[in-house]
Amino acid sequence: MILPHVLMAAHCPPTSLTDLGHLLQVLGTFLGLSLFSLGGGNTLLSEYQHLSVDQFCWLTSSQFADLYALAEAAPGPSSMLVGLLGLGAAWPEGPWWALLSGYGAELAILLPSTLLMVLACLSWNRLKDSPWRIAFERGLGPITLGILFQVGIKILHTADTNAAGVVVSLVVCVLMLRTRISPLWFMACAGVLGGLGVINR
Amino acid sequence: MNEQPPSHRELFVGMLQVALSAFGGGLSAWSQRIVVEQRGWLSNEEFLTGLTVARLFPGPNQINMAVYIGAAFRGLSGALVALAGMLLVPFSLLMLLGVAYFSFHTLPAVDRVLAGVVAAAAGMALSMGFKILDQYWKDPVALLLAAATFVAMQFFHLRLVPVVLIAGPLAMAWYWPRSSSSGSQP
Repeated sequence: MILPHVLMAAHCPPTSLTDLGHLLQVLGTFLGLSLFSLGGGNTLLSEYQHLSVDQFCWLTSSQFADLYALAEAAPGPSSMLVGLLGLGAAWPEGPWWALLSGYGAELAILLPSTLLMVLACLSWNRLKDSPWRIAFERGLGPITLGILFQVGIKILHTADTNAAGVVVSLVVCVLMLRTRISPLWFMACAGVLGGLGVINR
Repeated sequence: MNEQPPSHRELFVGMLQVALSAFGGGLSAWSQRIVVEQRGWLSNEEFLTGLTVARLFPGPNQINMAVYIGAAFRGLSGALVALAGMLLVPFSLLMLLGVAYFSFHTLPAVDRVLAGVVAAAAGMALSMGFKILDQYWKDPVALLLAAATFVAMQFFHLRLVPVVLIAGPLAMAWYWPRSSSSGSQP
């Protein structure tokens, strides 16, 4: 049995990755975004949503929300979401091509920031007391703060659950700030509530 | 500290050990335990310097930390080997999970459970901003910058890259260290 929203026509034609030009465009986009992953990379979540849902039309909004949740639940940094986006983008071409696309997308998002990090390590002694370093650290912090709030609201909007789901989101937010309980418990409990039909979308 | 710097192979295995130990969370704590206490590659002080660099520069913090450790001993190739050790297993597992997702997410039961999980994940995303809000609370300029960034993206739908390229230099100019107090302020 297939859900109705899957049968509905896509809101815009998905950008196919079998076309080499498109593939390069996609890789170029991730390569460029890499250097903007401030604050540990979570600042890019809204961009990922915009690219994969609105611009390239690989995923529906709820698929994006699902993949974000998977990346958060899985061990390892949440920036591995990019690999899932790459996987989803090429899924219509078959699983092997999709896996290739997933690994490629993750490499593209990691490579520039890795190279910059190597340069930073090699020149850290000179960089440490430089006014550039101090201004960068102090100046980009507040901007990261503003972006993270926007990202939070964007993800909440993308999740698009019923009132019970929004209440659960708010409760989880408070518990994340006030307790040290592993978020996996929150996801497990909310998953049960979803299975029982309390939370739906 | 060991006299002999770790080889590429040891860097790979060490980072793989960190990644596997950290299943279920606490990546940073495991990283410190294995790299500093068990293997003695870095002193505690060097490790903390690494975390500072990793947080400052773009990219996921723990991945940057692996890059820092690899680069410290074996340059660029060491950084790439450490990165591979850190990511290979968790990322491949995530890809398998992704294949399972795209194969089965149209099943109603799977979709219902995911709707719940997504609600929890949205709560986690919502908490990210509040988590770092404390440290800016006493700096009205920082709050103004954060609010302006938020409004530009949320209500004027400006994209991240132009926002950072415009607001970044302005903020850096404001926070440029005055000659007398460079580096000593929090």
